[in-house]
Amino acid sequence: MKECVLLVFLALCSAKPLFRPSYVTLKNMMLKDMEDDGDGDAANSLFPTRESIYPFFPFDLLPTCPFGCQCYSRVVHCSDLGLSSVPNNIPLDTRMVDLQNNKIKEIKENDFKGLTSLYALILNNNKLTKIHPKAFLTTKKLKRLYLSHNQLTEIPLNLPKSLAELRIHENKVKKIKKETFKGMNALHVLEMSANPLDSSGIEPGAFEGVTVFHIRIAEAKLTSIPKELPSTLLELHLDSNKISTVELEDFKRYKDLQRLGLGNNKITEIENGSLANIPRIREIHLENNKLKKIPSGLQELKYLQIIFLHNNSITKVGVNDFCPTVPKVKKSLYSAISLFNNRMKYEELQPATFRCVLGRMSVQLGNFRK
Amino acid sequence: MKATLIFLLLAQVSWARPFQQSNIFEFYDSMPNDEASGAAPEDPRFDTPRLSSELPELEPLGPVCPFRCQCHLRVVQCSDLGLDKVPKDLPPDTMLLDLQNNKITEIKDGDFKNLKNLHALILVNNKISKISPGAFAPLVKLERLYLSKNQLKELPEKMPKTLQELRVHENEITKVRKSVFNGLNQMIVIELGTNPLKSSGIENGAFQGMKKLSYIRIADTNITAIPQGLPPSLTELHLDGNKITKVDAASLKGLNNLAKLGLGFNSISAVDNGSLANTPHLRELHLNNNELIKVPAGLAEHKYIQVVYLHNNNISAVGSNDFCPPGYNTKKASYSGVSLFSNPVQYWEIQPSTFRCIYVRSAIQLGNFK
Repeated sequence: MKECVLLVFLALCSAKPLFRPSYVTLKNMMLKDMEDDGDGDAANSLFPTRESIYPFFPFDLLPTCPFGCQCYSRVVHCSDLGLSSVPNNIPLDTRMVDLQNNKIKEIKENDFKGLTSLYALILNNNKLTKIHPKAFLTTKKLKRLYLSHNQLTEIPLNLPKSLAELRIHENKVKKIKKETFKGMNALHVLEMSANPLDSSGIEPGAFEGVTVFHIRIAEAKLTSIPKELPSTLLELHLDSNKISTVELEDFKRYKDLQRLGLGNNKITEIENGSLANIPRIREIHLENNKLKKIPSGLQELKYLQIIFLHNNSITKVGVNDFCPTVPKVKKSLYSAISLFNNRMKYEELQPATFRCVLGRMSVQLGNFRK
Repeated sequence: MKATLIFLLLAQVSWARPFQQSNIFEFYDSMPNDEASGAAPEDPRFDTPRLSSELPELEPLGPVCPFRCQCHLRVVQCSDLGLDKVPKDLPPDTMLLDLQNNKITEIKDGDFKNLKNLHALILVNNKISKISPGAFAPLVKLERLYLSKNQLKELPEKMPKTLQELRVHENEITKVRKSVFNGLNQMIVIELGTNPLKSSGIENGAFQGMKKLSYIRIADTNITAIPQGLPPSLTELHLDGNKITKVDAASLKGLNNLAKLGLGFNSISAVDNGSLANTPHLRELHLNNNELIKVPAGLAEHKYIQVVYLHNNNISAVGSNDFCPPGYNTKKASYSGVSLFSNPVQYWEIQPSTFRCIYVRSAIQLGNFK
């Protein structure tokens, strides 16, 4: 059944080339970021350049590849080696360093010194508790930093301004300090789920001037929707928190939001009018909450295509809860509505309720359990 | 001296074959900005008729991207989402699929269907115990397959022939059958460390047919001998942390390109005379933390050796010709690291002339420091 829904989704998505402006913008911005790092020697990034890596140094000083690592095409691959510190002979023109799954406890001041071409740094799954505040001083081209599965208690300060993606999943971050993202104009993706962050942990102004498009703070301790995230957000994922209500003002900043994930929370109420703040929304996940009724205002969301409401306590569905009364208002049909595992009498549902739905397969009512 | 250096650099260029792997940055860098090319073909089932007459033109969704994942530049990033299976609606033009740190238990036939452009598949840190034999069949361009930190008992069958890099670190593999590598002629890197491989777990000649294989790491397993029938293309062999007891004269036969050999943390009590003569281009040899009673024979004849780790052994005497050639120095590279500490031999018992071909004092570590 779910597969069918996804198929419909897929079919719809692929039916025509897209022209949603904000998505194109996102892609272009990312393209720009990822593609051009102003390196000037594009050829180097595609071909192994063993010769030019080694200038005529005395043999003993040759910047060889750390033992056990593989160095090729300016990628230094040192995962799974049981390393307890960052190797000290990483070639200076390296573009990517993969150090995941080691036992590194600390990033020291000079560990990445001089790696001015570094583009991606993967430090997942280590034992990091400390990152020296000057560790990233010279990595001015760093775009992707993966710090997931470590023991960091805060997002490192003085991250490179060039950063486009920061992943710090499953650490011990309790707070986002005001100065954390200061000047990081290129940051587009922030994944910081599975940290013990509560609603008071985000200091006011922490995201000021930052244009993040995708934020995920799932599996944390949030009790409400953070109000001070960047206004540029296209996707906001807050699943598996302890959010109990969605208030009128919550989405006011996030006018461009297209995808919203609020599944697995404790939401009992979505205040009337709150969804009117996100007119461009395409997908809302509210499954596994404690909703007693269908959120109001769905019928006014012209682009809404997917709404998951299964596993709630919804007792009834009105004939105009999903679709507008005036024809031609809705710009896109629903491709998936899920309502199973609620408290309503499904036999009392009127067929007209789903008059703006793509096909019969798009509505899941059956009380089946996964 | 200068002539020597130039020769060495030339020599290195000529025999140390560079990795010909395509660069990971190709995924990020060389992305043409055409949306439509990768779109799935239209599904006629959902084409007509549109359900309701009230509907004007449909606004299609953005690119197909599974909820909560990020899809940009043909990289599909779905790590850390708690997924228990491979998402269904993956964009068919995906080049890199990152599914690490989820709860996927099984890879089924059809999970990757349509992903005929996939170059890299990252499944690290899941709970995969089963991979259906046909699962990888659609991946006709796959070059990198990362399966580390799962629960596989055997290597997957029918891996794509295009594969260049296979990482299956930290699984439950007890044996490696020759047949799984049949026809994998593009393979360059194989990492199988931290698996409960039995003493005879690697079938004889398992790696033999792979003509481009350059790097093997099988560390921290239970193998008791160096695998037999290693391909002559090998430049690095890392077998540290095993239960190897001896280096047979024949075990390194034909490894003319071997530059780095890691055999630390084994139970090696003897390196047969003549075994090192099989590896004339050896640059770095790690034999620390073993049970050697003397310096392996043949080091003095090695022209390129630079690093020899022999600390933490049972070496009680060092001969004056153990490291350096007698008479005129025929070495082409100078030692940059020789360690002998934590051996019964006392440094005052070693004749100073033993190190006559070493010009950098700090290259020798004799002191019994820990």
